[in-house]
Amino acid sequence: MKNPLSYIKYPLLKAIDISGLTFLGPVVRLCYGEEPSVQMKKIGQWIFIPIIFIILFLFVWGIASEKIQTKSGALPNPTKTLQAYDSINTFAKREKLKKEAYEAHGEQREKLLTKAQERLAEIIPQAQAATELVTQEKANQKVKLASQIAPIKEEYKTSKRAFTESQKQRQTQLDHTSKKLHIGNEEQYQSFIQSVKEHQSQTETEKSTLRSIKIKIKEIENSSSKKVEKALQLQTIMAEEQQFLKKQIDQLTRDNKSLKVESEQLKIEENFTALTQVTGKEALKKAQSIVKTETRLEKTKASNYAKPSTLWFQVRRSILCVFTGFLLGSLIAIPIGILCGLSSTFMAAMTPFVAIFKPVSPIVWLPITLIIASGLIPDPDQNPLMKFLWGLPGELGEFKINPAFIASAATVALCSLWATLANTALGVASIDKDHLNVARVLKLGFWSRLFKIIIPSALPLIFAGLRISLGVGWMVLIAAELLSSSEGIGKFVWDQFNNGASDSFAKMIVVVFVVGVIGLILDRIMIIFQRMVSFEGSAATI
Amino acid sequence: MSFLELQDVSIAFGPASNRAEVLSNINLSVEENEFVAIIGFSGAGKSTLMSLLSGLEKPTSGRILFKGKPITGPGPDLGLMFQNYSLLPWLSVNENVKLAIKKVFPKLSSQAVNEKISRYVEMVKLGPAGDKKPHELSGGMRQRASLARTLSLDPEVLLLDEPLSALDALTRSELQDQILNIWEQNKRTVIMITNDVDEAVLMADRIIPLTMGPQASLAKEFKVNMERPRDRHTLNDHPEFMRLKSEITQFMMGLNEESKSLQNSTRTTMPSIEPKDFNPPRVTPNMRSQNLTLGTPTSSGQGAA
Repeated sequence: MKNPLSYIKYPLLKAIDISGLTFLGPVVRLCYGEEPSVQMKKIGQWIFIPIIFIILFLFVWGIASEKIQTKSGALPNPTKTLQAYDSINTFAKREKLKKEAYEAHGEQREKLLTKAQERLAEIIPQAQAATELVTQEKANQKVKLASQIAPIKEEYKTSKRAFTESQKQRQTQLDHTSKKLHIGNEEQYQSFIQSVKEHQSQTETEKSTLRSIKIKIKEIENSSSKKVEKALQLQTIMAEEQQFLKKQIDQLTRDNKSLKVESEQLKIEENFTALTQVTGKEALKKAQSIVKTETRLEKTKASNYAKPSTLWFQVRRSILCVFTGFLLGSLIAIPIGILCGLSSTFMAAMTPFVAIFKPVSPIVWLPITLIIASGLIPDPDQNPLMKFLWGLPGELGEFKINPAFIASAATVALCSLWATLANTALGVASIDKDHLNVARVLKLGFWSRLFKIIIPSALPLIFAGLRISLGVGWMVLIAAELLSSSEGIGKFVWDQFNNGASDSFAKMIVVVFVVGVIGLILDRIMIIFQRMVSFEGSAATI
Repeated sequence: MSFLELQDVSIAFGPASNRAEVLSNINLSVEENEFVAIIGFSGAGKSTLMSLLSGLEKPTSGRILFKGKPITGPGPDLGLMFQNYSLLPWLSVNENVKLAIKKVFPKLSSQAVNEKISRYVEMVKLGPAGDKKPHELSGGMRQRASLARTLSLDPEVLLLDEPLSALDALTRSELQDQILNIWEQNKRTVIMITNDVDEAVLMADRIIPLTMGPQASLAKEFKVNMERPRDRHTLNDHPEFMRLKSEITQFMMGLNEESKSLQNSTRTTMPSIEPKDFNPPRVTPNMRSQNLTLGTPTSSGQGAA
């Protein structure tokens, strides 16, 4: 009897092939027991060797990070980068919890509150202990260092004394010689100059010796011990959690949405009862106050927790932005490309534009698109399109699409459309003449010839172009966001660059990997699409 | 008046200064439901003739009349079956046929279209492979799919451009039988181009050789007076078959020889020159030989089609 698993072997291998994850092929084949020695060799080549090189890379990175010192600290090593990744995630998680706290009401609010208070009570002594540990370790370190520094300090003192002594001696010697000089004796004067020179250079050397000893002392004083660092790290973690819990409790109590709404409602009721007891000026005043509170109440009801953007939010916004730009670019590039491929006259008309605009850098496009976008939408708060976009449900509304977003997307479009345009034109122009003859024999009209023969035939190349475009767009977008301050990965990097916290350098390194991985995924998706539209003998079968 | 008629047709390509006349003074008339085979060597201009008949190319001079009216362009009533299948590679066999049917019968319901597709695909015995893409099929199957597509146009004239020359001998004879079968069930005018004498004699009513190009023309025709259906197994014992075969073969060989001698007359002796610094060679090695041959039979007479 056949093993039921054997039926999925070839579909599985085909899926692996289409997705381009060819390194998994030997693993699957090995699982089915197909030529184990051959598969092991392939696994060694495509899985183990890359893993070894990754480990090697991490090792070299670790060494390099110790050597490279910058103003913003050492280049983060792999461990620090991983910690930065953790801290990015923790931040995102805590912001989510705070948002929940803001929106919590009734029983759930009280439950969360007790939980947070319990945790806070738990953590306060721990935090104190951590602080104590830091002071203790610092003191220990000081004592340890003092014993190290003492002999050097002693050396410094003796050297200094010796140097002052010898300088004085040389000075008196020179004084003495100067008095004995015979007027007119050039030779004597020359040798006198020589001795002065020697004296000066000697003094210089002595000074630099003293300086180097001082630097040594400073270095020892600044050298951090692992223990102190660890204690500091623990202290930071505790302090951060403590701060978070306090904020969470604030969101559950003082700043809580449901509590605010309740208190305002209560106030309105009270004021109204008071209002019904009075007339005249007093009544007017009370009524005005009620109206004011009512508007405030409406605002509170509609309000959302002002969540600062986390990296993952920015990643999602960047992906939306790159696809907006990519779509915009493709909508321009594909029709123009098709026209170029169909008509050499149109191609000739387009060539100068393509040739001139293609090499233009995104950095040049961005200010132009920014000016145009903010010119078209001078007041985003009043613009109907923006209002509509902000009112969209879910995260689409939260993205707060603004002119900077539109400018970034337009820049992506302007930089990425060229690859699609060129490939589409090539795909349409290089269509098999026999296929066109089929269209002629069938007497297909222009549109059915276009949609049934020309476009399907050009699709593999069009998708090859789209793949390049998306890759270019992703690269361009990060730069555009960085410059336009449009919320996104680029903005995150820029914020970290300006922030200067101890781990912002490491967070930038995390972004390198995040951008790389997302770019890889986008590329894979496009490869899958490309393979799905490819046929035997098409120009772009990879 | 004939069903399909070529009157003094000539076609030439290239600019006026360097004009190559491929076909000249072609006269042919084909009756309705007649099976005509045109036989010729590679490079004689057979495919050009087919392009003219299907309306893909226009003659430089002369007229092509179809049912008394000049052909203005290609169309489904002149069903051309291409030499290299020309199936659309992104469509399955059924979809390729469907494209043709949808165009010719635009008002058909989808059920009727599907019935038609399966009828034509069954007709060429491709039923089980209907959902496959062309690249998953063998050469013979692709040619059958192409035949199904052409038949589905329900053309008044079936133009077969070397339909079987790319196939192996076994597939070839099988397809010959299939084409004959289909033709006998549903008679229509067929013009087939071939380079195989046996095939021509087996299938056609009339065989017309095409002389060697350039300026190829039609030579005297051979009538095939053999009763149908013809049985390939007893054919080799048929005196008429043997007579025709040897006659046509001899005629064709004569054509080839004639053209060879024609080519040989242009042999020109070139002086022996060899530059001192002949490094690297800028021309083909045979230029260095003392006798330079212009237009050897292999280079122009028998070039690829």
